[in-house]
Amino acid sequence: MKTLLIRFAGLLAVLFGITLITFTISYFAPGDKAEAIAHARYPGDFGIAPEVLQGIREEFNLDAPFFSQYTHWLADVMRGDFGVSYSSRTSVWVIFVDNLGETVTLTLTSLAIGLAAAFLLSAFAVRYPNTIWDRGAVIISSIGAAMPSYWLALLLILGVSVYLGWLPAYGTGTFAHLILPAATLAFWVMTSQTRLLRTFMLEAYNQPFIETLRLRGIPEREIFSRHVLRHSFVPTLTMIGLDMASLLEGAIIVELTFSRSGLGSLLAGAVLSRDLPVVMFLVMFFATAYVVINSVIDGVQHLCDPRNLKRAKAS
Amino acid sequence: MSLSQSISISDSHPADPLRQFTKRVGVATLVLLGLWSLALWLTPYEPAAADFLNRLAPPSAAHWAGTDHLGRDIATRLLYGAGWSLGLSLAISLTGFVVGTVVGILAARSGPAGDFAVMRVTDSFFAFPELIAAVTFAGLFGPSTSNLVIALMVVSWMKFARLARALTLSLGESDYITQARLNGLSSRLILWRHLLPNILPSLLVLWTNSWSRTILSVSGLSFLGFGVQPPSAEWGAMLLDGKAYMQTAPHIMIFPGLAVLLAVMVINLTGDRLRDLMAGKT
Repeated sequence: MKTLLIRFAGLLAVLFGITLITFTISYFAPGDKAEAIAHARYPGDFGIAPEVLQGIREEFNLDAPFFSQYTHWLADVMRGDFGVSYSSRTSVWVIFVDNLGETVTLTLTSLAIGLAAAFLLSAFAVRYPNTIWDRGAVIISSIGAAMPSYWLALLLILGVSVYLGWLPAYGTGTFAHLILPAATLAFWVMTSQTRLLRTFMLEAYNQPFIETLRLRGIPEREIFSRHVLRHSFVPTLTMIGLDMASLLEGAIIVELTFSRSGLGSLLAGAVLSRDLPVVMFLVMFFATAYVVINSVIDGVQHLCDPRNLKRAKAS
Repeated sequence: MSLSQSISISDSHPADPLRQFTKRVGVATLVLLGLWSLALWLTPYEPAAADFLNRLAPPSAAHWAGTDHLGRDIATRLLYGAGWSLGLSLAISLTGFVVGTVVGILAARSGPAGDFAVMRVTDSFFAFPELIAAVTFAGLFGPSTSNLVIALMVVSWMKFARLARALTLSLGESDYITQARLNGLSSRLILWRHLLPNILPSLLVLWTNSWSRTILSVSGLSFLGFGVQPPSAEWGAMLLDGKAYMQTAPHIMIFPGLAVLLAVMVINLTGDRLRDLMAGKT
């Protein structure tokens, strides 16, 4: 219970740190924020009166010192008020929800396909060592680790869209638009997870209890499906948590390369148009998601280990 | 332990595979650097010299990798681009290596409260995915090489801090460090003589990994327009140039991508080999 409390305090401290870093970046970002807000309010008006700017500065508390602005902003964030986009003047939350779906679809599709492929590949590699399966898995995963995903995306566009003309290259909307981006990201998931799954399964095979099971006459197939798989499950879970950040990064690169709508394109657009409320929210969202997902996985991992369950029951 | 340590550090064991490997990597690096400078000196083209009569030419004897949309020689640009892509990421990852190691050792040696505070700060930085931090920073402060480097440096040190802290903590409990302390060695001497030499190899493996990842980040961000700006011959920026001419001249985007792939793969495999050798040794 005590470790749990310390962990929770640590999580809160980290979340607090995230808000501080986010605010610091936006505070020191160059450019007059009052002007950005004014341009959003009065589009097309290039001669904004100084009084109007002054009014905006007072309204948004822009002349206050760093710490006072930070606490105001933090209080708003805690209440769930993330502000209004400078450019479209709609709530940041609404914009976020509008764009979330595309990214989640892309990420989950790729994760599912990539994991399934990684699982098959590494299972074959471990069951049939020193065959073409094993070598292939190692070679593919080392190519995958070095493959720039934006280049893979371009190659897929070149091959499938330009030469074969089978699928649309850019854009969002239909299922056909999803195939190439999902394939790009799934390739990355497959190669990075194959490398790890193969190692974890090999490690599981080297545990002494596997030998015992063999001596007891348990068929190899059952040893694999009931024991090796289960044993390699927990480390895989951890790695997926740690790779969440890379997966999100991959999704952003893929979105931008394929001109898909989604959180990545939203972030890039907002950053370039200095739409600070949107930028701050997205940056915080990504960081918080990463931390929370990893904390949850930490917890699940704790529960998955029978040794911890026993200890919890005993106390 | 300290005896065997001094033996393995001296040159009296030429058969030691780790030492042999280090030597080989050193020689290979020198040879590659030599070939690179030779090629830069021999190439008849300038990386930014446009030749509009030879636009979008496919690979030929005169232009080994063809020319791009301004008629610039792609092979020459790839050579100069190595300086950008590999050099910038080398500087970034080395900064992360040094800063992270210092932070990690400090955290491990500053008592439970200090450790908790330093590591939560590290976690806070760790939460920002590299690419998102870099896009945000470079985008808000203006896309440029220096902003890209600053952004990537700010998020480069956390993995090193975590590893250095974990290694320092576990080594601090080992018998030979206790022995050294009981013998009355100052903590500074223990740090330089016993701690650093023992945690450096693992950190080096992490560094090879970090360098190759940074190459992907630098060229990826330049490809997305948030990093090194054209006309600089960074590999990612070259890919961006090629994207528009994919249908008519795909060679413009084939070669820079291949360069990134090969460079990252060589560094990764070297790091893997180093890790395997260390695992076999201990």
